[in-house]
Amino acid sequence: MTELSLTDPTTYPRKVLFVAGAGRSGTSTMAGLMRLMGLHVPQPEVVADETNPKGFGEPRWVVDHHDRLLKEALVQVSDSRPEAWFETGRVATREPERIATAEWLESHFQVSPELVVKDPRLGWFLGLWRVAAVRTGATPVFATMLRAPSEVVGSKQTYYANRLGSAHLAASWLNMMLHTERGTRESVADGGRVFVRYEDLLTDWVKTSMYVAETLQLQHVLHADSEQIRDGHRFVDPNLRRMSQSLDDLGLPPRLHELTGSTWEELNKLADPGGDTPAVHEALDQLREAYVDLYEESAAISRSSVVAAEQRLKRQRSDAPPPAPSGADRIPHGVRAAIPPSVRRGLRKVAGRERPA
Amino acid sequence: MSATGLANLEGHSDFDITWPWTRPGGLRPGSTAVLRVKDEARSLPWVLPPLLRATDHVLVVDNGSTDGTPEVAARTSQDVGLSHKLSQATYPFAVARAGAEHLATPELSVHSLSYFYNWCFAQVETRYSWKWDGDMVLTTEGEVSIGDLGWQVGDVQSIIRVPRHGLYLESESKGFLDLGLRNAEEWGFPMGPDFVFTKAYEWEIRTTPQPVRSIGLPHGLCVELKYLDGDEFAHWTDPASFATSYRNKRKRREWTVYNALLEGTVLPGVHEITAPPGVHIVDHVTQEWLPRAPRPLEVGLPELAPQSPAQQALASREASESGK
Repeated sequence: MTELSLTDPTTYPRKVLFVAGAGRSGTSTMAGLMRLMGLHVPQPEVVADETNPKGFGEPRWVVDHHDRLLKEALVQVSDSRPEAWFETGRVATREPERIATAEWLESHFQVSPELVVKDPRLGWFLGLWRVAAVRTGATPVFATMLRAPSEVVGSKQTYYANRLGSAHLAASWLNMMLHTERGTRESVADGGRVFVRYEDLLTDWVKTSMYVAETLQLQHVLHADSEQIRDGHRFVDPNLRRMSQSLDDLGLPPRLHELTGSTWEELNKLADPGGDTPAVHEALDQLREAYVDLYEESAAISRSSVVAAEQRLKRQRSDAPPPAPSGADRIPHGVRAAIPPSVRRGLRKVAGRERPA
Repeated sequence: MSATGLANLEGHSDFDITWPWTRPGGLRPGSTAVLRVKDEARSLPWVLPPLLRATDHVLVVDNGSTDGTPEVAARTSQDVGLSHKLSQATYPFAVARAGAEHLATPELSVHSLSYFYNWCFAQVETRYSWKWDGDMVLTTEGEVSIGDLGWQVGDVQSIIRVPRHGLYLESESKGFLDLGLRNAEEWGFPMGPDFVFTKAYEWEIRTTPQPVRSIGLPHGLCVELKYLDGDEFAHWTDPASFATSYRNKRKRREWTVYNALLEGTVLPGVHEITAPPGVHIVDHVTQEWLPRAPRPLEVGLPELAPQSPAQQALASREASESGK
């Protein structure tokens, strides 16, 4: 094994930092900072736009990969269904997806031994990435960004003109955060996890990023030079925190309000040094169970809406005009029968309509 | 089947079965691995640590061990700091061996494999369960995969299949990994009245509703330890019990590989592996050799391809899931 040298990054052990958390929680700021301190963001990445003028720090391949997998699993990015976790987990058990993910990771370890991977969809596939890290001999570490749910929901409504109600957004936030916490708990493959308040990152990114680096042993950050630190100060804009709503402003149903408030309180404890304790895990387990119960009750109550939607879709399908007959179908049967079978087979082949053996 | 449980034919009321989902409070979220063991003291130090880390709870039910299996289980869980996740129980009745003996035993007898399994799983308190053997060791990838699925499955009624590969141990540093047979059995099951044990020809079988969801993990995530200096077939009535039916193909392959290795022959599909100095062969195979082996893992000889309609249907489904 190569000995670790502080001045030679090629000797750093392979490590991949996964930045998780709900969208609009400061994940781009965290990934951007890590890049400035020397971690490698696999290229090419998603280009900046007006919703995130300083860039997303999201590898294009990762976004496309996750988009495709979510479609296969029939899961939305903001999905409030607890069973959606099994659907994405099921897709992640497929060998071709494990191979593709590990191969992609391996190709970027050729560029740098310390990578940072971030995408708001990442939470759905943490297990897949953990497997990819195992297969490439790397240590996965996790940084989950925390931002008050009132601000995340407000931010989403502002930037994405989300027409869904705040109750749905709050439920999606709960589903994502409660299960991301569960999915990043200590595993034999991991090198640790941290929870970072967006507010802390904006207030004192130097202190906060050093805490992240020390906890997760990110060598590039631990040994960043003065010019990189100056770049960090140029990058972080304390005025980024533009939302200042309270949970009360969202007007959530009482039980959802209570669950959201309690979950935020418990998650906050994880961000304190030494706060990632079994007692907090147990409290979050109970909150997750309460959320699952609330969701299942709500789904049972609103079953009629689902049935009505299914019936509407069924009617739309039956009302659609039948597909136009193919060229061969327009030839009278008697004429078709007169063509020798071998010629018919050849014609079918040319037309790309071969029959199964 | 009674809605609340089962009573055994012998009248041992202290071993009657109460279905756990009928108890006050019902089942809690999470998963439990259930191991029914007899003389597995050699294997448990490798079997238990990854399983204790990957699941919410592990239940070891001892059935007549004479090699200190319960003590080894307790010590192993303590050594990894997870004794709070382990519980142990004892089932005191002699259980029929697989094959002819099992076939001759009434299903509701305390000596029946299916009654034994129902009793074991009736001790489970979580909503999902893993049937596990006392010689099955997870690789690193297997451990993180089972760990994730254990909480992801939630209340979804899905079976989970886990392929396993025989690892024949010659010494602490040398072993033979059999990748010649594609074999994935159903190990993960929801807890509930649709998923209980009943009698099949050679052994027990778990009932399932129709339709039922079933997903499979990739190959290379679990090995089954076999000791070349041990009696690996003691739980069978006799080798003739698995000589014919395609249901027993795995057992016949094990018999063939085992006896060939004893004679010094390494059959096609079997990999001879030597661990580096200072590393135990089981650790080497599960933490290094298999996790880093090229994917897709080369598994399955053509001559051992599935034969029964059910196995062919399963293989076809697995091939489509794996993109082949």
